[in-house]
Amino acid sequence: MQSKSDLGRRALVLVPYGWLAVFFLMPFLLVLAISLSSVRLGMPPYEPLYAWQGSLLSIRLNLENFIFVVGENTYLLAYLTSLKVAAISTALMLAIAYPLAYGIASCAPQTRSFLIFLVIVPFWSSMLIRVYAWMSILRNDGLFNSLLLNLGIISEPLRIMNTETAIYIGIVYTYLPFMVLPIYANLSASDRTLIEAARDLGCSRLAAFWRVTFPLSLRGVAAGSALVFIPVIGEFVVPDLLGGADTQMIGRTIWMEFFNNRDWPVASAVTVLLLAILVIPIVLFQTRLSRTSK
Amino acid sequence: MQSYVSIENLSKSFGFFTAVDDVSIGIGKGEFFSLLGPSGCGKSTLLRMIAGFETPTSGAVRLDGEEVTDVPAHRRPTNMMFQSYALFPHLTVGKNIAFGLAQDRLARAEIRQRVSDVAEKLQLTALLDRKPQQLSGGQRQRVALARALVKRPKVLLLDEPLGALDKNLRTETQHELVRLQRELGLTFIIVTHDQHEAMTVSSRIAIMRQGKVLQIGSPAEVYETPVSRYVAKFLGEANVFEGGATRRSGNDLAVESAEAGGSVFATAADHVSTNGRFWVSVRPERVELARQGDGLEGVIEQFSYAGSGRHYRVRLKSGATLDALRVNLGAEDDLSVGDTVFASWMPQAARLLAD
Repeated sequence: MQSKSDLGRRALVLVPYGWLAVFFLMPFLLVLAISLSSVRLGMPPYEPLYAWQGSLLSIRLNLENFIFVVGENTYLLAYLTSLKVAAISTALMLAIAYPLAYGIASCAPQTRSFLIFLVIVPFWSSMLIRVYAWMSILRNDGLFNSLLLNLGIISEPLRIMNTETAIYIGIVYTYLPFMVLPIYANLSASDRTLIEAARDLGCSRLAAFWRVTFPLSLRGVAAGSALVFIPVIGEFVVPDLLGGADTQMIGRTIWMEFFNNRDWPVASAVTVLLLAILVIPIVLFQTRLSRTSK
Repeated sequence: MQSYVSIENLSKSFGFFTAVDDVSIGIGKGEFFSLLGPSGCGKSTLLRMIAGFETPTSGAVRLDGEEVTDVPAHRRPTNMMFQSYALFPHLTVGKNIAFGLAQDRLARAEIRQRVSDVAEKLQLTALLDRKPQQLSGGQRQRVALARALVKRPKVLLLDEPLGALDKNLRTETQHELVRLQRELGLTFIIVTHDQHEAMTVSSRIAIMRQGKVLQIGSPAEVYETPVSRYVAKFLGEANVFEGGATRRSGNDLAVESAEAGGSVFATAADHVSTNGRFWVSVRPERVELARQGDGLEGVIEQFSYAGSGRHYRVRLKSGATLDALRVNLGAEDDLSVGDTVFASWMPQAARLLAD
């Protein structure tokens, strides 16, 4: 009996691992392979990694793409821009999402689920459409500018479209729910009597928040930050549609290498390096988290 | 007598529900006072109003002569030990205990000294660097107590403090609490639904029901002279028979009870009117069972051996049941199920109740 249920449990665990292997690890290995190849004309547009010459198997690993990417300033700049945009927009989202999640979590249970529903509602329409909607809001003759002009607050339209500001607006708007939900989940599960205990021991409401509620919600903050920071680094749609030519983020660089230059090996090398940049801090973060929770 | 903690006509309503209904209690300095009642009787709400977590609908709370009714929890000279202990999971035991002192911005050296003193008193010294999750239930309970005591409150409030402990640890901890309370000379107010616990630890008990206080008194007073059938039955076991008085000699009364199927005896306080309907209450351990003689005739229907005593349930001729408890003194048991017995008691062993 024991071994049978054990087997069942293992099989259950295998499902997500299998999923990850097929849909994440395999594609990544393909990208890694392409990054070690060299470009050629034709389909596929890269040289095979190995060739049989009689009984001789020759494997050619070409590191030139990596050397090229590391040596080229454009890529370094794109990486840094992406990191900067991701860091700033994560901070902005945190500043908006925390009070929002806190407010929702302190409502009555029924109001809560309605408010959370409102947070999720934008997901029901395509992200592309929503970003296009922002274009019509932020344009020089868009809703926002006409409103301000009509109210007489400004006399000339503000240039927001195709600036970094537009990128931040778009990214914060798009990813905010991913920050709100984990923080809300954390705060709504927090134990109210801990706050009472803090109050009883002499804390004002504010002191109780900073000494108890906030430190206990850091896990939610960390989860939300990771959930937005990582995809924002590779974000392509928002900077492409709302941003200007001067803000080159890495997602757009990869797109251009793949589809404009048709240089799959270099595009893959950029991708692999991006993953490496992302994975190292995540691993560090995870080990720290598991150490503190022990 | 000037009360140290004075609860004056305190009421609390939540919508249409009145949780605490016009309660007045005076508690002296250094008392170990229990609020006892079934769940939902309002005892926890009352405690929370003393702590400052609930605002009374009407009435006042005074601590050491000062009115604190509208003073928020963090400015009251009270500390609470929570039923769930409410230890901060992100802080070590030492930091949990020091939490309130750090909030009061005491000097580091003093905080360290006071934490180590209280830790020693409660055998927590070796645990100061652990996290609450790494402690046993009993250890957590002591940390919660230490965290509240270290602030030297004027009044320590304990909300079902021993509810989560198993029975043996519970008994031990009750004695520990009483010892601590005497040693520190603090005023303790404890909320509990466990009559035995209330009797063991308290100097006085307030018995509550549906938001009202039914009786206040020392454990012996409330046990020996309950004011009503409810109190008699809530505090331990009681056999209660309805009847009407027939003869009175001094304070001793013979009561004719159809329910018991004969005359039963009781002592009535002078002020109890002996007209109309009332009830006689007698504790099982005061009932004597004999194979023959005077008393209520019945048949032993159930027997249970409880170690320290033998418990008999007697079906009386009238159809009512009567419980009797014989203390186990080591003698052979001469009664068994099916035996016919006569139950009697001394008049002073029973109480006459008007309600």
